[in-house]
Amino acid sequence: MSASHKDSPGEKKIILVGCPNVGKSVVFNSLTGAYTTVSNYPGTSVEVSRGHCQIAGEHYQVLDTPGMYALLPITEEERVGRRILFEEDPHVVVHVVDARNLERMLPMTIQLVEAGLPVLLLVNIIDEAERVGMRIDTALLAEKLGIPVVAAAIGRKRGLGELRQAIAAYRPQRATFAYATDLERDIQRIAGQIHGRYRLERRSLALLLLQRDEELQERVRAVEGTQAAAIEIVVNEVIFERRVDLHLRVSLERKRICKGLLDQVVTQREGIRPAVAERLSALTMNPWTGVPLLLLVLYFGLYQFVGGFGAGTVVDLLEGTLFEEHLNPWVIAWFERHVPWYWLRELVVGEYGLFTLGVRYAVAIILPIVGTFFLAFAMIEDSGYFPRLAMLVDRVFKYLGLNGRAVIPIVLGFGCDTMATVVTRTLETVRERVIATLLLALVIPCSAQMGVILGLLSGVPGALTVWVVTLTGIFLLVGLLTAKILPGERPMFYMEIPPLRLPQPRNVLVKTLTRMQWYFLEIFPLFMIASVLLWAGKLSGALAWLVDAMRPVMGLLGLPDDTAAAFIFGFFRRDFGAAGLYDLQTNGLLSPVQLTVAAVTLTLFVPCVAQFLIMKKERGWKVSLLIFVVVTTLAFAVGWLLNRLLLATGVLG
Amino acid sequence: MKCAFCDHELTPAMLREEGCGACLGGCRKIHCPHCGQENPVTPEFLVKLLGKKREK
Repeated sequence: MSASHKDSPGEKKIILVGCPNVGKSVVFNSLTGAYTTVSNYPGTSVEVSRGHCQIAGEHYQVLDTPGMYALLPITEEERVGRRILFEEDPHVVVHVVDARNLERMLPMTIQLVEAGLPVLLLVNIIDEAERVGMRIDTALLAEKLGIPVVAAAIGRKRGLGELRQAIAAYRPQRATFAYATDLERDIQRIAGQIHGRYRLERRSLALLLLQRDEELQERVRAVEGTQAAAIEIVVNEVIFERRVDLHLRVSLERKRICKGLLDQVVTQREGIRPAVAERLSALTMNPWTGVPLLLLVLYFGLYQFVGGFGAGTVVDLLEGTLFEEHLNPWVIAWFERHVPWYWLRELVVGEYGLFTLGVRYAVAIILPIVGTFFLAFAMIEDSGYFPRLAMLVDRVFKYLGLNGRAVIPIVLGFGCDTMATVVTRTLETVRERVIATLLLALVIPCSAQMGVILGLLSGVPGALTVWVVTLTGIFLLVGLLTAKILPGERPMFYMEIPPLRLPQPRNVLVKTLTRMQWYFLEIFPLFMIASVLLWAGKLSGALAWLVDAMRPVMGLLGLPDDTAAAFIFGFFRRDFGAAGLYDLQTNGLLSPVQLTVAAVTLTLFVPCVAQFLIMKKERGWKVSLLIFVVVTTLAFAVGWLLNRLLLATGVLG
Repeated sequence: MKCAFCDHELTPAMLREEGCGACLGGCRKIHCPHCGQENPVTPEFLVKLLGKKREK
């Protein structure tokens, strides 16, 4: 139901806030009953539910806000949630949290209290927490927080009476939470400069300004007038003096405060061991157990499944049997019988024909490999393993002196380098962004490329090991070099870890099919365009000239001349180039050493067109062209060195 | 729908947001505003197909 809303005079307001999936709507429905209105919040497309209730003879209006994780908004929903909190003049703000994730959700309670809002904490889903042996002393928590705390399982009608009583008896209280001395000094310094009237406490405002809250910066400019410049100067001075990500610093401080608040509040009943998922979760993040577990995931999840099944069984069936034995001979014969023009026959069924190269590569080689890879990827992703991998990688990074903050774009790069390049904008300094962009362009293969390379190399014993060792070595070398170039403190890395869970078959299937569809729609036109360009190049002689021009480079890498064509394919997309190598390998034109050298060089080679365009957009022409030159030079230099090394040592020989 | 990386809830409003523009043929992914992860948007035909199966 949608309707515009008018406030009834004298009606007090109860605002429900909290993360998604904590039972806010159930609380809303339990308080208000059936008569509610849903309307877009003025000036936005975000829906807000309003209802009414009567508690102890008093009429209340109840507002259910969109899910929000913090007072510092990132999404439109969070911005609207914050506006509601400060513009609706609440009698009480009920912060609904999940009892099982109290530690994760309490930082927002602190933010709400700090802001000067009349907060009541509703610890919901308490029944589930008790079932896993958790005991929560709500009286002690209320004492520590200085606000009423109600334990409830509203979905089971438990605690609803207590909630209504607490709302009726609510008297605003004020508590202050102490941050570290240096941070406190900064907060006071900024708060002391603020003189205007705001709906939130100066202390909270100072903290949000330190975290570069743009909306509040605007508000301060409007309220303070000429004085705003002085506030901005102090804020910028503090940010410059600290030279750390203050958002992260404040989050970690709040986490420390919450730990103190929950001390003796949350206890685990003896005899109930942590769940298997929790123990496994801890093992995945410990470097001693996490690295072997990662290797197991890579071996069974990717090497055996993608390399063995996808690139072996499925490709053999599609490419070897369906295309080579049935479709290709039939289509070629038909064209030879019915099409008299050489150029047209070449365009469709020639060496670089639309059908014989473009369709065959896309459908019979790339899609099955990438499809099995996406299936494995979706299973790992749905289990919640990736955030743990980020934590593990961060710990390994720290031993090497690398920057912890770069973990997220680097890990995301294994999904898609292009988007990960966009994510590098979240890094603090231009230097960090450039280094992360370089690492992504150079050594992080995207999911599609990794799938095809895995499939390509898994058939040659030892080749994949050489590929992994070489890429890891270059990554560490570039990382260590950049750590030298970028001296200074190691920034902290912090992220919330969601629960580890069994992958849901439906989720896995949907994600796999969706990614396959998206991938196919993206690569198929490119493969067609590439085929046409190669065909035109062949007929005009430009391709032969290009292959000739690349002959000395191929010679330096110890590769046959024909490999030049695969590298030209690689200019379009690296996975297209890898498919070219696959073709050469199956025709017996590449030795194990040549295949490995070509695969390593191609992996390090220039990024795909999309990634290059985004690099240009994010870093500008100068930097992206420089990265392009560095990456290309390094790729061929490493290929040359690897060839000499493999030939000299006889490895893979 | 939840982000596959950070587990934050992705809302219908985010579905309508434009992508980074890097992909040919338009964006078929939701970019999580919290961590940047690309989450594939389930195509219409799959939504219909799975919806019909569920109805049966």
